[in-house]
Amino acid sequence: MTEKKKVKKSNSIVHSRYGCAIGAVNSVAAIPRGIPIANCGPGCADKQYFMLSFSNGFQGAGYSGGGALPSSNIGENEIVFGGQNKLDDLIKSALKIMDGDLFVVLTGCAGELIGDDVGAVVKGYQEKGYPVVYAEAAGFKGNNLIGHEIVVKAIIDQYVGDYNGEKEKGLINLWFEVPYFHTNWRGDYIEIKRILEGAGFKVQVLFGSEAKGPDEWKGIPKAQFNLVVSPWVGLETAEHLKEKYDQPFLHIPIIPIGEEATTAFVRKVVDFAGIDKEKSEAFIEEEAARYYYFLEHFSEFFSEYWFGLPAKFTTVADAAYNLAITKFFTDQVGLIPVRQIITDNTPEKYRDRIRELYRNISEGISLEVDFIEDGYQIEAEVKKVDYGSSVPLILGSSWEDDVVKELGGILVPISTPVTSEVVINRSYIGYNGALTLLEKVYSATVK
Amino acid sequence: MTRKINLDLSSVENREMRLGSIISWDGSASELAEASNYDIRGQKRTGEGGGCAGKKGPGCKLCELNMPFNQQTMCNHSIVGCQVGNIPDCILIEHSPIGCSAIHPRFNLGYRIGLMRRGKEVKNLQIVSTNLLERDMVFGASDKLRRSIRDAYERFNPKAIFISMSCSTAIIGEDIESIAMEMEGELNIPVIPLFCEGFRSKHWSTGFDISQHGVVRQIVNKNPQKQKDLINIVALWGTDYFTELLKPLGLRVNYLIDMASFDELAQASEAAATATFCHTLGSYMATALEEKYGVPQVNASQPYGFAGTDDWLRAIAKIMGKEEIIEEYIASEHARVLPKIQELREKLKGIKGFVSTGSSYAHGMISVLRELGIEVNGSIVFHHDPVYDSGHTEQNTLKHLVDNYGDIEHFTVSKTQQFQFYGLLKRVNPDFIIIRHNGLAPLAAKVGIPAFAMGDEHFPVGYDGIIRVGEALIEILARKKFNQVLQRHVKLPYTDWWLSQADPFILAKHPEILEEGKQ
Repeated sequence: MTEKKKVKKSNSIVHSRYGCAIGAVNSVAAIPRGIPIANCGPGCADKQYFMLSFSNGFQGAGYSGGGALPSSNIGENEIVFGGQNKLDDLIKSALKIMDGDLFVVLTGCAGELIGDDVGAVVKGYQEKGYPVVYAEAAGFKGNNLIGHEIVVKAIIDQYVGDYNGEKEKGLINLWFEVPYFHTNWRGDYIEIKRILEGAGFKVQVLFGSEAKGPDEWKGIPKAQFNLVVSPWVGLETAEHLKEKYDQPFLHIPIIPIGEEATTAFVRKVVDFAGIDKEKSEAFIEEEAARYYYFLEHFSEFFSEYWFGLPAKFTTVADAAYNLAITKFFTDQVGLIPVRQIITDNTPEKYRDRIRELYRNISEGISLEVDFIEDGYQIEAEVKKVDYGSSVPLILGSSWEDDVVKELGGILVPISTPVTSEVVINRSYIGYNGALTLLEKVYSATVK
Repeated sequence: MTRKINLDLSSVENREMRLGSIISWDGSASELAEASNYDIRGQKRTGEGGGCAGKKGPGCKLCELNMPFNQQTMCNHSIVGCQVGNIPDCILIEHSPIGCSAIHPRFNLGYRIGLMRRGKEVKNLQIVSTNLLERDMVFGASDKLRRSIRDAYERFNPKAIFISMSCSTAIIGEDIESIAMEMEGELNIPVIPLFCEGFRSKHWSTGFDISQHGVVRQIVNKNPQKQKDLINIVALWGTDYFTELLKPLGLRVNYLIDMASFDELAQASEAAATATFCHTLGSYMATALEEKYGVPQVNASQPYGFAGTDDWLRAIAKIMGKEEIIEEYIASEHARVLPKIQELREKLKGIKGFVSTGSSYAHGMISVLRELGIEVNGSIVFHHDPVYDSGHTEQNTLKHLVDNYGDIEHFTVSKTQQFQFYGLLKRVNPDFIIIRHNGLAPLAAKVGIPAFAMGDEHFPVGYDGIIRVGEALIEILARKKFNQVLQRHVKLPYTDWWLSQADPFILAKHPEILEEGKQ
């Protein structure tokens, strides 16, 4: 059993693994034709870009992120005399210069601390009919996951607005991975949409290459229900939508990886929706056949490889990826989980539920997960683990590079930041992604 | 002589106040050189004449074009992170919410490559965040800072600890100077407060000055034992080309600040001279070391192209008393590299380039391109210092460029503003851009122009640098194929109205346009 030691409490963080709330500018940039406006000091949005996009698989910032991102770049003058005029100029000119359909102003630390009335500035534009919303996303409010939900709520309340019409059966709002933060989010959104559509649903994915832009957001209230596929991010949004539009939600905390988990996921969503099962069962059959065609081939390598394969693994990642990937390797591949560390500062109120999921991760296996954000402590914990006779497998971030080298282990990057891989459209989830994940881990093994 | 740099104070006067630096301007290089009034400002810096600077002398004021629209940029807090955060045996503590530390993975990449280039052990950087939250904004965060300082000391046993101020801790009035003094007493190592909150200066390069100020003030050896063969090179992460270049003069190179150890920083006051690959970066430190410890700085432009490298080597030889050997060295180097350069000039005939980098580095970079016969009639510098801290006229890099290599018709000062870049490129229609800092190259990429990301800033240095750049450009130009694919299929995030504007500064000149309503 894993050796446990009480972690010494300190505020310090080395090797941070997330950005701050203003990092949600990237969530806005992930909406087609969404334009984020950072109302903060110079440097804030730039730093978030580097954590969430550049140093995270070199994803690129897309249409309106990165260097294109409007920012008030608050200076000494605004700190002393207030920044409302500068923000007003910025919004006015952004509407003229940036080609977008939804503008979201995110206010950071400086703007909030000097007490600018951003709401009043933005309301002026809203009243004139411009699609501008504002969100208070100061870095001291929390990390970029918190910021993501703050921004989503702002868009729903200020842009989507009230709705009293009909709901459409089989139409889902998807609340899933956090754009840019989850390294494979672009590929994962494609795979999960493919699966849900294959099962007979229409899906509003809202972010990424499959999203339709602000109009799709306007369609949120029409959905039959909200589907939260994540341990905790998205739950506040779903609760809010339940309240606001009397819209039910289904919470599936573990992102499905592999045929068995994905098939169970599909059936659960279909049951919840009460839609016809014929289409989904046919889809499952086809997907399963293909999956096992490949798994059969893979199994030859897995059972015949002479030169050693990893057996014990550690996962260091945010709650969503950690849970999903730990589950897959434990429950579907038969690797031995030895240390699981969740790094996303999961709010206290969700932690017990997540602990329970690890305690029931697979038949006969119960895990105790740790919540640690400080890289110094995380790396010390990873090093302490007894990996037995085989090569240590660490599924973590690029920060683990040094410690994995010391261990003589294999590092497969799965969590922010990732600076040793270029990620474009790959996915490690669902039916197809599971095979890619196997490819990735075992390519690293035979290298 | 009046002191230009006051090491008694813990904080640094911003560049815009000290030097009159600007971030927004458009015209020709010769106009900017003239408007900068380097010599007169320099007299002010050296105290030798009447002079003027910034607001104090309206005759010297450089007019700025204030745009109502801005895009995200870097800040001086970031610069401090990638300077004093890159000292292997010292620790930086960022006293801020966690987002101010979000750029660390990027800095770690540069740091690890830098360590490799300098033959040092490659390890992750270690910067500590005090990780402040909402309640800290209300109740203060001094205890968290103390706690993080002790954590850093226990975990890493550093030889010095730096503390950087952020926007939020500056606004709530954290007293990092008192805490630094208190902890210095407790831990018995230098604890160095750096006032680099992001909103503080309109340009990030003030962060270089702040970092250097802290190092000179609290790390540099106060009782130097002179090392006659040691030359400081104020640098970033570049490959060590300077050792080779300075070998005939019998000099050992001491790189400052990135990747330098505490002891290497400490011996900066013992060197025989200080030089740099970029006066924008190095002038503050060189001037501080000159004034405080009598370490002479190299009075020349920068080591780029034949003219720049010749002058630079001569100036160093003069300090070292080796003038008798330098002309022969220069002549033999010219003869050595010239055939290859002529070959490259043939291959690069008719090619047009565009340089967009930090201020004086661009001046050097353009020299190198013009040595290669490449046409450069447009350039962006991310800010402009009308004078450097030394005030020495020989360091007037912009004038050196114009005098030796001719004018640049469209010479723009713009702080990584991507929306302006489209119009600036359209004016001159280059075949490639040379770029440092992020944000601009993606736009060039989408309008069909490949970018040479000059990640190794020493690459163009010296005579061999001309060859290195020429050869690399031939590889970069091949990528045009990729960029043309993008150009055919990818849309820019700007309105047709904006893209049709001929003047990228129109809104500064005619802000009333914005009042006309949307489109």
